[in-house]
Formats: sequence, C-alpha cells, structure tokens
Amino acid sequence: MTKYLLRRLLHGLISVVIVVAVVMLLVYSLTDREKIFGNDPMFTKKASNLRIIYKYEQWEKYGYIDYVTYNEYLIDRTKSGEISEEERAAAVNIAPTAEKIDVNGNQVVSPYAKGDAPEVSKYVHQFVEYYEAQGYTAVRLNADYYSAKTGKLNNGGKQALFVYKDVPLLKRLLTYFGNIFTVDNVHYVDSSTDIGARKLTFTLYDPAYTKPDGTTPFSPAIIGNGTRHKYLLYFNDQFPYIHQNLLNISMGTSYSINKGVDVYDTMTLTQGKYVKQVITYPTGLIEESADDLHSATYIAGSHDLSETISDRFTDDYTNISTIKASKSKIGFSFVIGLISVILAYLLGVPLGILMAKQKDRFLDKLGTIYIIFIIAVPSLAYIFMFQAIGRAAGLPSIMDVNNESWKMYILPIVSLALPSIANLMKWLRRYLIDQMNSDYVRFARSGGLSEGEIFTKHIFKNAAIPIIHGIPGSVLGALVGAIITERVYLVPGAGNLLTNAINANDNGVIVGLTLFYALLSIVSLILGDVLMGTVDPRISFTNKAR
Amino acid sequence: MDKRVDLSEFGLSDAELFSRVDTDTLSAEKITAPRYSYWHSVFRVFFKKKLNIVILSLLAIIVVFAYVYPLFANYDRFAHVLVEGGKHLSPEKAIAQHPNDSAIHWILGSGGAGESTFDAIWVGSRLSLSLAFICALINMTIGVIVGAIWGFSKKFDMVMQEVYNIIGNVPYILLISVVVMILSASFWSLVFALTVTGWLAIAYFIRTQVIIIRDREYNIASRCLGTSTFRIALKNIMPFMVSVIVTLTATEIPSYISYEVFLSYIGLTMSDISLGKLIGTAQPSMFTPGMQIEFWAPVAITSIITIVLYVVGQNLGDASDPRTHM
Repeated sequence: MTKYLLRRLLHGLISVVIVVAVVMLLVYSLTDREKIFGNDPMFTKKASNLRIIYKYEQWEKYGYIDYVTYNEYLIDRTKSGEISEEERAAAVNIAPTAEKIDVNGNQVVSPYAKGDAPEVSKYVHQFVEYYEAQGYTAVRLNADYYSAKTGKLNNGGKQALFVYKDVPLLKRLLTYFGNIFTVDNVHYVDSSTDIGARKLTFTLYDPAYTKPDGTTPFSPAIIGNGTRHKYLLYFNDQFPYIHQNLLNISMGTSYSINKGVDVYDTMTLTQGKYVKQVITYPTGLIEESADDLHSATYIAGSHDLSETISDRFTDDYTNISTIKASKSKIGFSFVIGLISVILAYLLGVPLGILMAKQKDRFLDKLGTIYIIFIIAVPSLAYIFMFQAIGRAAGLPSIMDVNNESWKMYILPIVSLALPSIANLMKWLRRYLIDQMNSDYVRFARSGGLSEGEIFTKHIFKNAAIPIIHGIPGSVLGALVGAIITERVYLVPGAGNLLTNAINANDNGVIVGLTLFYALLSIVSLILGDVLMGTVDPRISFTNKAR
Repeated sequence: MDKRVDLSEFGLSDAELFSRVDTDTLSAEKITAPRYSYWHSVFRVFFKKKLNIVILSLLAIIVVFAYVYPLFANYDRFAHVLVEGGKHLSPEKAIAQHPNDSAIHWILGSGGAGESTFDAIWVGSRLSLSLAFICALINMTIGVIVGAIWGFSKKFDMVMQEVYNIIGNVPYILLISVVVMILSASFWSLVFALTVTGWLAIAYFIRTQVIIIRDREYNIASRCLGTSTFRIALKNIMPFMVSVIVTLTATEIPSYISYEVFLSYIGLTMSDISLGKLIGTAQPSMFTPGMQIEFWAPVAITSIITIVLYVVGQNLGDASDPRTHM
C-alpha cells in the first residue's frame, strides 16, 4: 500500500513538473513580454536608452533572458586575470556610436559621433564574438542625442552595449525547481562584502524582546550573520510558537501584484490593521510600532539609505515585514471555504437521503428544482442574488479587513455552501437510488431485514463511498479560494490571485500558483483514494490482496 | 362488462357467419411484434409530458427573440446617447420618452447609453447562444470520437491518461487568457479558447461510459460470435450512448453561457455585446435605487435561457434512453 502510494505520488510529481513546464511555455514564450511593464512606475519614469536597458534588466531578473553587459564581461575577465585593471579602464568607454556616422546615419559630421577607439574596439569585437558564438544576440544602443551639434544627450540617452539570450525552457524549469527550497547559510551575503564574522549565534535571550527598561526575558533564538534572515529560529506567542527561517520556500517572485515578494509570502502574510506594540530596535530606539523584528532580511547597503533606517538598525538586516491583525489571504479563503464545506456535508447529505427516500414525491421534486437552478443558472447570477437578499436582510454584503465581525462571513460562506449542497444532493440521490434498485437490497429485504437496517447497513454504506472520495478534495480545495464569491464580497482571499496575476501579466505569480494548485489536486486525489480504501475494505490498490 | 353478443339475434346461418381458413405456412413463420422506431419512440415519450411542450415552446420563443427579433430591432448602442434624460430610465419613463417606438423595445427601460435594455439583451443572447451552440458542437464531436477510441484502445488510454492529468491541471482561466491575449478578444478566439482543451473532459466522460458498457456480457458474446469492433461500437454501444450524449450536451450548452458570463466578469470579455458583457457592465446599477432593472433584467433572462436549455436537454436525454420506451 505504502509502496503504491509513493509510486503514485512520484507519478503525480512528474505530472506537476510537466504542468509547470506547459504553463511556463504559455506565459513566457507565448505572451507579449512588453506587457509586464504596463503597471510599472519605474518603467514610465525612465526614458530613452535607459528604459531599454531597464527592460532587459527586469527581463533578466524575472527569468526571461540571460543578459550580460559589456562592463560585466570586462570585470569578469579582469577578475580571472586575463586583462589588467588598466586595460579594462581603457576598454570600458565605448564610443557614442559604433561607426563613424552622425545621428542621421550620414558620414561623420559631428565631433561626438565617432567609432570606437582601437583599444576599445578590440574588446568589443571579442565580447560580441564570444557571446554570439553561444547564441546570444548583441545589442548596441547608440547615444540618443538631444542636439547633434552640442553633443547634449537626451535624458537617459547614454550609449550601451550588451548581449542577451532567451532562457531555454529546460533551464528555466531546472532553475525554478532547484530554487523552491533554499537552506539559509552564512555565505548568502556576497563574499566581497565585509560584514564582520560570518556565524550563527545561539542565544537564550532573544534581543528582539528587549524591554524598554533594557532587560531581556528568557527566549532562545538562533541569530545569523551573513545569512539572508537575521533570525533563523525563534519563539513567539503565535501558533506553532517555534518558528524557523532556515528552510525557505520560494515559489516565484511577483512582478506587479506584490512587487518583489514571493507568492508563498503573498498568500501567507497577515493583512489588515497594524498591531502596534512597544519594541526596542537594535540601536536601542524604543518606539511603538508594528514592525516584526524577527522577519529581518538582508539588503546590501540598505542601512545608510535613509535616516529612518540608520536610526533603528545597526546593520544591513533592515528589510522587515509588519504584524497585522487579520488573517492572511489563504487564511481568509480557508476559513470561508472550510466552514462552507462542513456546512455543505452537514446539510447536503441528509437532504440527499431525504430526496432519495421520497423519490418522485413532493420533496424530491422541490430538491430537483433547486438542483436545476444551481446547475443551470450562471453562478455569478445566483451569487449576486444571494448578495441582494442578504443585503435586504441587513447582513454586511462586503468584507472589511479593518473592521472584522463574524457577520461579514455569513454571505460568502452561504454563497459557497449552497452550490456544494446542490451538488452533493444530486450525486448522493443518484447513488442511493442506484443502490436501492440493486439485487442485494431485494435479497436483504426477502431475508427479513427491516427497511431501516437495509438503508443504514447496506444502501448508505455503499452509496457514501464515492462521496467520501471527494472529501479531501473539497477540504484542500478550500485553500485555493473561490474566484467569483471572493470578488463579489471583496474577500481579501487567495481565490483572485491567479486572475489578478493574469491581468497584470505577473508570470512569477502565475507559475507559483500553478504549482500550488497542481500539488493540491494531486495530493487530494491520493488522499481521496486512501480514505476510500480505509472506509471500504473491498477496495485495494495492490494486486496482491486480490 | 360482458362483451359477448348473442349471434342468434342477427338471424344468420353458420355458413354466412364463418368461413374456413387454410393453414398458411409462410405467415406462420413471420414474427409479429409492434413496430418499433427509435426516434419515433423518443419523441412519443418526450411529448407525453405536458411540461415538455411548455418548455419547448419557451425555447422556441427564446430562439425567435435571439435570432429573428434583432433583425427588426435595428439595435445601435449609441443611437440614443445624445438624447437628454434618456439614460437609466425605468420602463414607464422609457416608454413615455420614446412615443414613436413600439413599447416592446422599452419594456425593460433604458441603459447607460440611453439604449433599450430589451434589445440589448436579445442581441447579446444571439451571440451567447451562438457561442454556446458552436462550442458544444465542436467539443461534443471531438470529445465523443476521441472518447470512443480512448475507451476501446488500451495503448491510447495510457497516453491519454497522462495528457488528461497534465492538461487537467493547467488552470483553465490561464489557458483562455493566453489565447485571448494572443488572438485578441473576438468571438472566434473565445470559441477557440473554450474548445482547445474543452473536449478533453467530455472525452474522458465518454471513455468511462464506453469502458463500463464495453465489457458487458452481451458484448463479450457478440465478440465471440465474430462481430468487428467497429460494428460493436456502432450497433451495440452507440444506442446506449445516445441518452448519455444528449444528457451531457444538455449540461454543456448552458455551461458555456455561464462560462462566458464568468469570463466577462473577470475581464476576459468579447468586444461585441454578449449576455456576460451586459451583466458585467450593468453590475454597478445593482444597488442604485431605480436602476436595478438594468442589472436584474439580463440576469433573469440569462437564467431563464439556461434553465430552459437545461431542462429541455435533460428531458430529451431521459426520453432517448430506450429503457423509458416501454
């Protein structure tokens, strides 16, 4: 059994990898990559050549292309000792234009339009040849003149030289799966940066809990220097009380939905009002703030960026998240989804039984009308209907994260539960009636069993098996969230993450969510089979048992 | 009631009343049974229910309004855009506003551009219905053919299981968005998006049905007698599948209308007016006093259309099951 399940899990994981590959092909290769800049304020701020360079830099950052500038190439060669520092300094300044032409493409008129000097030209040729041999495309941006006479450049119009190549799908796939789990280590910070001794420190008195009077209560923690996270292990008062940052999950970095943040964090970080408490910053500054010192991560050179930062922190571990009062995106989706699933089974199962027992009578017909209504009417239409009815009944018709009350959960939960109830009723009724007409039931009846006994011991047990198979799927499905319901009631849940990401061309989020959804579906199918096998001993997944 | 008649009443002799019939060996060999025609029986069972006649007439009215009415309505969304005070009107006011038009145009009031909501709904219905019918036709055709092969061929089954596992896990919305993004949001690109993988679920369903029937005893017997697979598929299995296919089509057609409504809502809308687009654009009117009809009218008519299509299909599916022909 275990062997069989492991094999299925492995098989499922292979499917997941292929699914991610298909999605990568869809989003990276088939869509217009210029579109990712649609909502990017940095892009609109930049002009001329600088904008083009920015585009390539971002494409490299988000995994579209491999991108190497001429400058980087020279630095690499200097580091490997092929050329000296002086040669590099002489070679780095490329001319405004590659050939001796002016801005209009005519032969030299302006003194500023000139070809590369021989010592530059040599390396430029080597650079271009070296990379073009590897399938790269070289791009040389000529200086963008505001005035050809004075040689004044447009804003961001400086000349540039770089090469790029589309990342092949296989490489992108391998990089993606290779980076999903990362173990934080002291070599995270670039080796050329001097940050003092790189080490992990174990302390019994967590400095993040320093009280305003300077004392620190007992709380063990592991603090790193040179790692990405400052706190690798710590305790707090939130479930599960012990937290780690040693093993990190990264499923794909967002470009526009939640810029620079990983999908996993986007889904799991808390939302809503800030929870302020008195905290002592590493510098000793005491302030009421919602900052979560335990979340500090390293950003090179960030300490001296602003006074706000340098007043509070003693090192470059300044990137921190805040503690907010409400649930995370996935938390909202799961609470609403789980309650509606429980409600659906609590109501759908008895109603389905009632319909089957009353077959072709009034209650069965009433139930059928309800089922037809739910199946045939567009879900958008009946969710709006529920919203209008709920509003008329005085229930809050939209969710407000900053002002939570239990009442605002009612309408989304009901909207999600009613279709599930209809679905359960439909299938349970069908299975029950099929069982009722089978020969073994007639045999049991002729054997003298009471109707109640026949129903509970025979019919229901058999009819419930396919229903039970669906339970893990519906529970785990609650994690995914619901698109329409969450939109209509403005639930800050995870359901709309995918549609938003698609609208914003946020490939990192799309790929990350696809991975998440595919894993959930595989796991819920396997769990469903396990559950079904537990409930019905006749079902065996291994051939030997037969 | 006693039906016996006393023959002596007629005053006729035995010779006049009876004549001798010879034994006919040829007729004795003929097997007589009531004539059975499959489709005749389907319609007999279907029309026996009075409800079906009502629903079918409703469907006829819907089709006429969606496909014939717009030809005469001359709908132009922006024809009344400059009419002052002509926007967001209730039915009474809209009828009063346009005394020269026949009242039917303004029976549901006017919309945000001063256009007739009633006309807009039927122009939208035409597109949504066409989308649903075309998608259902394509998906059902491919799905049934592939599903039948899938059910019969074990090798094909192995390959298709994997394809199903993979494509089933690619988010459907993503696929549709990418297609719409590449091909622009037109009617035919939406048809392509909905059919490019839409047939797979149908094929899977048909495959399961085929596998269930394929190994029944009568088919094993038929194979032992030397019937070819093609003939088994056509003559032994097809009759069973008709009701399954009709029932499935009945759920498919309304589901495409619902899907189009959903896609419009999340922003993947066609450029032409459809029921989904109508509901999406009228959504802000939902809670504005006096303008609710603009939103609820298309919602109600969409619901009626989908329910009618579903019920007709389901009952036709029931009627096409030979077991109900007794």
